Amino acid sequence: MSAVATGRDQPLRAPRRAWGAIVYVRTMFVFALVWSAIAWWTDKSILLPSPLAVLQAFVDLARDGELFEHAGISLGRMAISLAIASALAIPLGLTMGLHPRFERIVDPTLEMLRPISGIAWIPLALFIFGIGNALPVFIMTYAAFFPILVGTVAGVRTVDRRLIDAARTMGIPQSTIVVRVVIPAALPSLLVALRLGVALSWTAVVAAELIGAPSGLGYAVEWYRELLATPQVMSFIAMIGVIGYLCDSGVRWLNRRLTPWAAGR
Amino acid sequence: MGGGAMSAASLPAPSRWWSRVATGALLPIALLAIWEFLGITTGGGRMPLPTRIVREAIILIGSGDLPLAILQSLGRVFGGFMLAAAIAIPLGLAMGYSRAVERNLDPVVETFRPIAAIAILPLAILWFGTGTAAAVAIVAYAAFFPLIVNTISGAKNVNPTLVQAATTMGLKRLTIIRTVIVPAALPSIGVGLRIAMGVGWTAIVAAELAVGAKAGGGGSGGIGQMMFVFYAYSIELNRIIVCMIAVGLVALLLDRLLRAGLRRAMPWVST
Repeated sequence: MSAVATGRDQPLRAPRRAWGAIVYVRTMFVFALVWSAIAWWTDKSILLPSPLAVLQAFVDLARDGELFEHAGISLGRMAISLAIASALAIPLGLTMGLHPRFERIVDPTLEMLRPISGIAWIPLALFIFGIGNALPVFIMTYAAFFPILVGTVAGVRTVDRRLIDAARTMGIPQSTIVVRVVIPAALPSLLVALRLGVALSWTAVVAAELIGAPSGLGYAVEWYRELLATPQVMSFIAMIGVIGYLCDSGVRWLNRRLTPWAAGR
Repeated sequence: MGGGAMSAASLPAPSRWWSRVATGALLPIALLAIWEFLGITTGGGRMPLPTRIVREAIILIGSGDLPLAILQSLGRVFGGFMLAAAIAIPLGLAMGYSRAVERNLDPVVETFRPIAAIAILPLAILWFGTGTAAAVAIVAYAAFFPLIVNTISGAKNVNPTLVQAATTMGLKRLTIIRTVIVPAALPSIGVGLRIAMGVGWTAIVAAELAVGAKAGGGGSGGIGQMMFVFYAYSIELNRIIVCMIAVGLVALLLDRLLRAGLRRAMPWVST
């Protein structure tokens, strides 16, 4: 059904997009109206403030920079964690994908660790690292590590063996084969994995900061809850959602730019 | 690295299971031995050691504390899971079946989807207190999105010819949904159920941990709470590790059971 529809709708794309935006605004407006009605009816501003109060709090927090300060801290932690996780998982995944014998030795150990979610590591990590930057970075690195590893291994498996053999026949050194043949072929799968890794580590950062960090968005949410400042709590929750959405769009954009041949997968 | 090691043809023939198990067990056993050795030679009395972990595991299981905590958590996961399924599956079917319903509700779903369930936790504590209700709400929120997204995509991928044929024959909408859409969407719903179960189990551990951490130990049990108590009140690292292993095992078991159940219910789908 959709294949037929897109074919016919091609020339109408711009007006359709505008119409989509109108529908979005209309739906969210109705949502805000229902919310206001419930807030007005229950009349407990601590439990359910009106949408306007939340918007006001959001604007205030944005204006004095608190929102962006915490968001920046959380984002910085995520960037560091993703860098560490990629630096560990991609070489390991490449090696595992290229050497079945190595994979058979390492894989069971990793499969034993994988079901233990990053969040389950929080108490032990709290004991080891204490409250601070190291704890959220550790938890996020752990959370992002497994999807990136699995994606890399799966990506290497999809590489056409004949390409590797052809390259080897031509006498190309192993390291060049990895860089020029294996990595480009594994890239689509790797980027899909990266997307999952970003999503999981962003979830983990909130949990880790909620419990064991003196700053960041998760900490701010909890701080304002203790003050019973619900509009601020909701503002920070909204910010977590916005950044989660932007990160996901960013990785998807990267997907389309770096691997246009695999777009839509 | 041997030149032939990389090509598939030169792989050893499918090895016997015991040699495979032996290769796989090599590294974990070596790591555990090194851990035990280093722990004994350098660590103090609190240092977690594999042998101590096994001993603590036997104590915790024997006293019934660990099974009880796991059961409490599982009960919450199932509660939240059922709640999410009861809302997400009908809604997803309606959204997948009708373009108008989808266009109008999709903005709400897509607006809340990027908000991690754990971020909602402080709000849930505010609304439902620190008991079971907050934890169930978190699981329901976490499980809702994978379920609804997969149900919508399943209901949309139904062969349109079948729907048109059923419409031509004058079937009512509800009958079409029940007899055409639902059976065709089932495999996708199954995938949603599996993802939702995994996400729900992760969320319950996080929720119980955070409730334990933020409610001053006045929470209501469960494996996450148990871990937090071992961290904050009686610093017992061995027991924390026992709990971590239990969390991993339960996650694995839940997925295997659900997969087996789905395979039995839908033998024509390969999962």
